[in-house]
Amino acid sequence: MADGNIDIAWLSNEIYLAAELLPSQGPITAFAFLNPLQGLETYPFDNAMRMVKRIYGNEPYLEESRYLTKFRRGRISPDDLKIVIANDLGVAAKRQIAGLLNLEELRMCMLSHAIYCGINRELDWLIAESNALKHFRSDVFASTATVLHASTRDWVDELLQRKLNGEPQTRAVTSNPAIQSFVNSLHPKTRSRWDQGKWESVCLSLLWAISSVEIKRVFQAQSPVQPIRHRDNLKSVCMVDCDQWVHEILVKFCAAFLDQGFANWSLPNREKGFFVAFAEHHRARMMGRRWSTGLRAELSRIANSGITPLESIRESLGLLGVSQAETQDYLRATMLALRGFSGMLWQTEVRPERVYLASPPGTLIEYLAVRLILDRLALTHCARQSLQYVGPLSELRAFLRSKIEPEAEVTAEQQAYTVFQLAQLCGWSPKRLASLSGSDWSELSRELLLFSSHERRRTYQAAFERKMIHQSLDAIAIRASQPPTTTSNPRLQIVCCLDAREESLRRHLEESDENIQTFGIAGFFGTPMYYRGAADAHFASLAPIVMRPTHWVAEEVVYSFENEDRNRARARKMIGSTSRRIHVGTRGFFGGAIVTTLLGPLATAPLLSRVLFPRLTGALHRTASRFIAPPAVTRLHLERAIDIASSERDDGHGFTVPEMAKMAELALRDIGLISNFAKLVMFMGHGSSCLNNPHESAYHCGACSGSPGGPNARALAAMLNDFRIRRILGEKKIHIPDETFFLGAMHNTATEEITFFDLELLPSSQIAGLRWAREKFAQVAERNAHERCRRFESAPLSIKPFEALLHVQGRAEDLAQTRPEYGNSTNALCFVGRRSRIRGLFLDRRSFLMSYDPTCDDGESSGLARILKAVIPVCQGINSLYTFSAMDSSGWGSGTKLPHNVTAMLGVMDGAASDLRTGIPWQGVDIHEPVRLLFVVESRPEPLLAILDSNPTLARICRNHWAHLAILDPDSSTIHRFIDGRFQPYVSQTMSLPVVANSAEWYSGNRDNLPFARIHP
Amino acid sequence: MIDHVALFLSMTGSISVVSPILLFAILGILPIFGCRLGERAIANLTQGCVTIGWCASISILCVMWTLDLYKMPLGIGNWVEIPEEHFHLEIKFIFDRLSIPFLILTYTLCGVIGAFATRYLHRDIGYYRFFLFYAMFLLGMVLSSLAGTIETLFLGWELVGLSSALLVAFFHERKNPVRNGLRVWSVYRISDGAFLIAALAMHHLTGAGDFEVLMGAAPWPLGTASCTEAQALAVGLLLLIAAAGKSALIPFCGWLPRAMEGPTPSSAVFYGALSVHLGAFLLLRSSPLLDLSWRLRLAVVALGLMTAVFAAMSTRVQTDVKSALAFASLTQVSIIVIEIGIGLRYLALCHIIGHVCLRTLQLLRAPSVLKDYHTLENAIGGRLAIPTVGEHRWIRHGWMDWLYRWAMERGSFDIFLDEYIAGPFQKVFQWSDRNEQRWTDWLAGQSSKNCRGTRTPVDENDLT
Repeated sequence: MADGNIDIAWLSNEIYLAAELLPSQGPITAFAFLNPLQGLETYPFDNAMRMVKRIYGNEPYLEESRYLTKFRRGRISPDDLKIVIANDLGVAAKRQIAGLLNLEELRMCMLSHAIYCGINRELDWLIAESNALKHFRSDVFASTATVLHASTRDWVDELLQRKLNGEPQTRAVTSNPAIQSFVNSLHPKTRSRWDQGKWESVCLSLLWAISSVEIKRVFQAQSPVQPIRHRDNLKSVCMVDCDQWVHEILVKFCAAFLDQGFANWSLPNREKGFFVAFAEHHRARMMGRRWSTGLRAELSRIANSGITPLESIRESLGLLGVSQAETQDYLRATMLALRGFSGMLWQTEVRPERVYLASPPGTLIEYLAVRLILDRLALTHCARQSLQYVGPLSELRAFLRSKIEPEAEVTAEQQAYTVFQLAQLCGWSPKRLASLSGSDWSELSRELLLFSSHERRRTYQAAFERKMIHQSLDAIAIRASQPPTTTSNPRLQIVCCLDAREESLRRHLEESDENIQTFGIAGFFGTPMYYRGAADAHFASLAPIVMRPTHWVAEEVVYSFENEDRNRARARKMIGSTSRRIHVGTRGFFGGAIVTTLLGPLATAPLLSRVLFPRLTGALHRTASRFIAPPAVTRLHLERAIDIASSERDDGHGFTVPEMAKMAELALRDIGLISNFAKLVMFMGHGSSCLNNPHESAYHCGACSGSPGGPNARALAAMLNDFRIRRILGEKKIHIPDETFFLGAMHNTATEEITFFDLELLPSSQIAGLRWAREKFAQVAERNAHERCRRFESAPLSIKPFEALLHVQGRAEDLAQTRPEYGNSTNALCFVGRRSRIRGLFLDRRSFLMSYDPTCDDGESSGLARILKAVIPVCQGINSLYTFSAMDSSGWGSGTKLPHNVTAMLGVMDGAASDLRTGIPWQGVDIHEPVRLLFVVESRPEPLLAILDSNPTLARICRNHWAHLAILDPDSSTIHRFIDGRFQPYVSQTMSLPVVANSAEWYSGNRDNLPFARIHP
Repeated sequence: MIDHVALFLSMTGSISVVSPILLFAILGILPIFGCRLGERAIANLTQGCVTIGWCASISILCVMWTLDLYKMPLGIGNWVEIPEEHFHLEIKFIFDRLSIPFLILTYTLCGVIGAFATRYLHRDIGYYRFFLFYAMFLLGMVLSSLAGTIETLFLGWELVGLSSALLVAFFHERKNPVRNGLRVWSVYRISDGAFLIAALAMHHLTGAGDFEVLMGAAPWPLGTASCTEAQALAVGLLLLIAAAGKSALIPFCGWLPRAMEGPTPSSAVFYGALSVHLGAFLLLRSSPLLDLSWRLRLAVVALGLMTAVFAAMSTRVQTDVKSALAFASLTQVSIIVIEIGIGLRYLALCHIIGHVCLRTLQLLRAPSVLKDYHTLENAIGGRLAIPTVGEHRWIRHGWMDWLYRWAMERGSFDIFLDEYIAGPFQKVFQWSDRNEQRWTDWLAGQSSKNCRGTRTPVDENDLT
């Protein structure tokens, strides 16, 4: 029983602990790729998965049927299943269950067949109406069926003989009324008339009779956990969902509170905080829902008594009868009931710099206080209306729990039906089942309970991941056993983001010319900053979401174009304010009438052209906007005098020279590009473009907080072209030849377009080289588009490369396109090491590729530590979000995009009103096969263990198996896997890797994920 | 010459009616025989039928325009005739200056939406279902636009209503779409009830449901109604209720934002654009009645004005783009209703056409709102201004907060409908349910509560 003595500080601490489980996604315009289960990363993966269903109500794995489909298609192999089962069971694997089969065989049988266990009423129907008791399952082997036939015949004859001889029947027969009556009705005459079909149904009926009676006798139902919230109990008793009532108020109010400026009228008193704004909002008398009639009085009582929101929470918990021990769970469940909005309130409170209008400190607590008041009112009303309950709320749960019989996850009938199906599949005859003892039955029953649906799916998933891991490690081991590719005289070096989408771009570039060398780096190119483009109004963070940049960089039009820039900015401003006026006007009264009548018919032009001729319209639009875009020649304001503090103000922009030198040095050192420079080195950030897509930010660079990473690449190139920085680097043993030029570029992952920055600074000696490079890029764009098109169902498999390029460009311009690209979907692997060791491996756009040269690192592997500190959380975050969104699209993901409705400029709702939907929409993950990411790091066990020991985040992820980890020896092809806290040698499963002449040869004609292969021209 | 023209017109006219019927029939009948069309086949079929219909309607417009024809009826005869009751059910289409623009508008927008949806719904499990409802909607719109008798109009009106409700509930695996779909459906029931009574009244007044008889034979908008003022007021008020339900006027406004549950293209064309204007269309069609009774006109203007003020206020407080657009739509629809009430029929027609096109574009582009705002902010070079409550010139400070709340609660009209219209019905039904329970319990001799079939494991008959 709760009491008033709960300490306020303790309570607020409990609230903040519970808040860690809220969705961590902030505003949708800066899409954060974080593990949606980040709050549970302190638990081992398997344990966390056992908890999520209860905590979140979402599915931790795919549905069983989907795993079974994978099993049948060979994506999960029986061998892997066997090994996973054997590993789980250890010595118990060979234990005989009831003398029928051993435990391993039992589990294997359940996994390799669709064991149907419907809900109880469905089972009633199946038994009574379907052919379940007439024909064997279609997947029963003919030989098993024959054996079952024969043994049934024998047993029935035996029973008949005993009956005729007047001998007593066995216990199984006498104790089972159904069999007893069957025996009673047995007669030699009828028996002799039975045909094959009749025998089959006799066998099945006997099997069902025995298993249902015996299982019922021994079955021990697991008592399910009672849901903690009153609402859940109430819902199961009277089918009324009070959350629906409460959310009707809360969704609207939270959206108004969070609104970043969509509504023309903003919420009154917003600045006074959530609680006061809510109270003031509800002060006026107005017709409301009946349950909320007491709200005004309650709010003014609280206001008059002068208690704080936190005290109000304490009071509410007391009134609801929540004990101190269950406080955290209760608060967590309450917050998760409207998790999207709660999470967004929390995010805007703790990361105020990410939004324009942040939530004041304490918002989450105030929200919770309001929510509990509403909960109380709704519960009181609902219990009184539906159940005539007028007692205190604190006793409501006990009252409700006395009224419901909690339904166990598995019932005796379902288990009996499982046994019935297993008997057919394994050929357990009725006689054999009848001869089992009571302890045999309870053993069987216990084992079936232990191998619950959750455990079956966990096993499938483990086997599936095992296959993926082996495929990846084998491919890497085989490739690494061959000599690394040497590019002694590189003609062009390209540094891309480690993004999985760039894997194919790099592969095609390397395929197109052996003198092209590629590198991978986290897409912010080691230059975290807030950036503002020449035509932008605000700064955006270009750094991983876990980092907070401390520098501001703005793009400026060069001095000679200043006048033109001013004119164009004025033109933009004019057009902008006109179109805003029209836009707002259409929503108004008189303005709307005038605008819609006069200009309305003109809207048919963009409407028709955008929908019917997307690419042409896009081209027109681009041409038109070129006239008002800022002049093409711009510079980044990169340098800041050493005596000025970095700030958002104009004079505080940029980095000091030592800062730049430091960043440039680390960036080069990290990827191992410290010697053998080509004449032209490109840094290529990436972004994407699409239309009509609130989730656009999710397609940009994940390492740049969901913004295009071009400016970072441009900044790094500009720094490295600076002779002062080269001089400092020279002092640090990085000698950049004078003829080497660095060029920043941006790759559009949707349209395959590559934009170059600061081309006017290109020395004339570099022009030939760039021309050559652009020719290669043009080829590669087509090839890369072609490879991407195999995943798009709307592109025919027979598509030609140049058509493929047009196709992907068309997608980006299409107003109706929900899949402009597939982002990092299908990611499964992250390789951290020298590219030369795996160059020529077809990794199917499934691998993040980070360059790291262990031979350039210092003795303490501090370079590796620095890399992994960023790479592991970033890639694992991306992978987890994709994986969980694919596991349960409407739970972890944001469901289908089609009804999405942008709300408060921060997120999307489903349709007219719903919770904010976080995660990736279904259209972004429909081809993603969920697997945990496998990190393969080129290093040795000792340094990696040291890194894990010194970095708690990495340790949490790797030691708790939120990602798999393996290491590739820098000098050999030996691989160690990180299992149970130590590195264990990995034994290759296969020694052969398919070899093809080019990528297209391997992927052509296929839409599915492909095994890895070696490209060897 | 005239014969040829008449033949041509009746042929193209028939084509414009038959093509949506064909589309709906094919999409509707095939699944009955277990035949599932692929995405591409559905898309081609839809686009083909819509294009044919569009071409036919455009050629009708051209011919009638060049030959200065104002009216072309196309009758398909009486389907039910009960002479002693003076009743006949006549299917008849009319091509005039009101119906042809509406027809072309329907085809154009449905064509665009169809093309949009073929890509937007790619790989969705409800792809087929969407296009089936879409075909139903198209057919309903074509029938209503061209209806020459009130029965025909009712048929089209019902198809539009049914398909709208089904599309709102398109994502039926979630609760809210189904609830809101049901809500739309219930509101439509009320308006359909009024419509039906109006149709019956018309039959009683004139012996036929033919608009020509009641509204005069002159081409729209010149017809003069042939009944007394009281009759016009009675029929007109019923039609106004029907129109209010369909066009979400007070007090039925609550359903419009709730209807934004379906896929974006359906929200765009159905609620933002075509469907919500159907009420205004009905008023336009029966506008000669308005001429007869100033009371009726006053009622129309008053209802339009109230709704317009309410909706204009509501749209300002909405924080999600689709609701804001829904209320913005409603504002314009109400203004159109006002225009009709005042008698500015051509203006109303132009307003409808302009509004429908613009709003469809805006709703289709609703997911772009973030990018649009970003672009605007960049162009303007700062945050877009956020006007706050309490700074309005004309309204006192305290009142603004009240107005904000009122707009946020959407005028409490939903609550009013639930408590005072649906509530009594619900009580009666619950009472009946309780009695039925008691009755069946008595018959069965046991309580039906917590009754879980007690079944022996095996039915003995199975074994013998």
